[in-house]
Amino acid sequence: MTLVLAHTGSYPRIGDSPELQLLRRTIAGVDRGDRDAGDLAEAESQMTRRAIDEQLAAGLDVVTDGQIRWNDPVSYLAGKLDGVRVNGLLRLFDTNFYFRQPVLARRPARTRELVVGDFAVASEALKAAGGNGRRLKPVLTGPYTLARLSLAESAEMRALEPRVAAYAEALAAEVGALADAGAAEVQIDEPSILLFPGDWPLFAQAMGQLLRARDEARRRRHTIDLILQVYFHDCAPLYEKLIGLPVDGVGLDFIYNPRLADLVAQAGSPVPLGLGVVDGRNTKLERPEDVARQVARMLPRIARARAWLGPSCGLEYLPRDRARAKLELLGKIRAALAGR
Amino acid sequence: MGREKLEKLGLHLPLFPVTSVGSFPKLDSVVEARNEFRRGKIGAEKLTEAERRATAFWMQKQEELGIDVLVDGEQYRGDMVAYFAERLPGFTEGGLVRSYGNRYYHKPIVTGEVSWPGPLTVDWWRYAQGLTTKPVKGMLTGPYTMMDWSFNEHYADRKATCMALAGVIRREVEALLEAGCRIVQVDEPALSVRPEELAIAVEAMHRVTDGLNAYFISHACYGAFELIYPGMLELPVDNFDLEMSNSGLDLLELFRRHPFTKDISFGVVDVHTHVLEDAPTVRRRVEQALTILPKERVWVDPDCGLKTRTVDEAIGKLRLCVEAARSFRN
Repeated sequence: MTLVLAHTGSYPRIGDSPELQLLRRTIAGVDRGDRDAGDLAEAESQMTRRAIDEQLAAGLDVVTDGQIRWNDPVSYLAGKLDGVRVNGLLRLFDTNFYFRQPVLARRPARTRELVVGDFAVASEALKAAGGNGRRLKPVLTGPYTLARLSLAESAEMRALEPRVAAYAEALAAEVGALADAGAAEVQIDEPSILLFPGDWPLFAQAMGQLLRARDEARRRRHTIDLILQVYFHDCAPLYEKLIGLPVDGVGLDFIYNPRLADLVAQAGSPVPLGLGVVDGRNTKLERPEDVARQVARMLPRIARARAWLGPSCGLEYLPRDRARAKLELLGKIRAALAGR
Repeated sequence: MGREKLEKLGLHLPLFPVTSVGSFPKLDSVVEARNEFRRGKIGAEKLTEAERRATAFWMQKQEELGIDVLVDGEQYRGDMVAYFAERLPGFTEGGLVRSYGNRYYHKPIVTGEVSWPGPLTVDWWRYAQGLTTKPVKGMLTGPYTMMDWSFNEHYADRKATCMALAGVIRREVEALLEAGCRIVQVDEPALSVRPEELAIAVEAMHRVTDGLNAYFISHACYGAFELIYPGMLELPVDNFDLEMSNSGLDLLELFRRHPFTKDISFGVVDVHTHVLEDAPTVRRRVEQALTILPKERVWVDPDCGLKTRTVDEAIGKLRLCVEAARSFRN
């Protein structure tokens, strides 16, 4: 049985100590005009390396770049598309974090890469850190969530459907580009679908477009998996539908509904599952043996006995020391499972 | 209804009362004093002196501008949750987490039973009120937001945390009223974060306000109000202070479908942009409000606290509020 430890996405961009304030200070310097874009890129790369180092030190098998460059999970991607301007602040789901809302002046179009450059920098960092055998997983916010969190100025983008379709086209191209750049798996974050389950057909259609991009990349002889990740709400009502998608894995948030583990243990899954059993939103550290007990009930029912352990969501919502402790906890849970 | 209550409380406000949401930019002198205090170069007394001088500056500024219901400007506070968490037994300071963009705050952690250690804001309110004959609002953060914006390592669940905090905040409200405060703002910007928990926020606010003789305001902002409207009108306060301009006044559409039944402090200037709106834009926003809301219920203010703006920008935005309100009174 393979029980991989995988990060779910973001990692704190700063920490409390002075050297971990580098990015914050550099951005402030850019705002004041005494630092330039080159300084900022270097600070971002440095903090990306730190994020990767800390994930490796915690024993993770699959790491992310920590999304260190992301201003937020919405405007960072949407703002790079042609036809999109970035507007005022809006709360990101039920977090105490705010994103800038994209406004679609016309149909958004991808005219340049979105995260391929970030992936290249992080790949170098992983190699330099001696992370051979560990995988780097780029993360994209999915088309449905981007469309849900965008406003439209143009009449053609006013309905949700064309917004989802336009974002799906842009992101499908990015999936292909990531495959060309060597990504072995890409994670698509779609928290919004949990809040609007009635939109499932539209959501599934958009996912279909990304899956076609994956399949085309495979025809180009790339080895690439597409992982769907959902969080920030109860996954149980959509569980059957989520695991019915032809994706290569589904990452679930087990924190919102403590009974989700019962459902998985009972219903099983035909696709590999990401078990987001460590709370990425609260500092309280779970007891490894408690979580191991919960995981042990689910593992026998998961397809091909493949699962990965991870935080319930990105870890940017925690202070850095706790984020790191949560990652270290994953290894302790795996050890507790092995000892059962 | 709101007007009658205000009159009964002895508060004779003009039409379109102008207020502000709470915070003003820290004066350089305060920023410097806070830095020096952190480095151990000055003591608490010197820091308080700087904060009092800055509070007096903002009180005078509000008087000059013609604001009707004043705030102390929160020169002595950092983050709206952390200020209270730092003073309430049961909380521990957490590390830095990001709020948005390049802004971070120390998110508190509930690590034990919360309790009220005695008045937290009353001296500041008394000081500010002593500088003006106009009413000064008591400014508190609500129990639901305190809960939602803190980590919890002690209580069994979110509701238990929220209700415990409500009991503590009520004690502070009672202390403010005892000192003579008649308008208390209990901010709940987290109100819409989990629509399924609206009932918890409402129950907690009942615990804070029930049976107390004051005009209550609650500020909420940057949320998905469409998910909790009209249910949010159950919150037992007299006035909702809402961010309207940042979201292109889209809440008015909700009010059109289901009447807004409280007084409203209507945000007419966006606080998250350096751009100073022009007067016709601000007037147009009030005009749009009046297509839906009766004029007796409309207060005028910025979208949110002004602490992220420069002093000049904040004054400029407040002036726009006053000018817009006056033009409608005439």
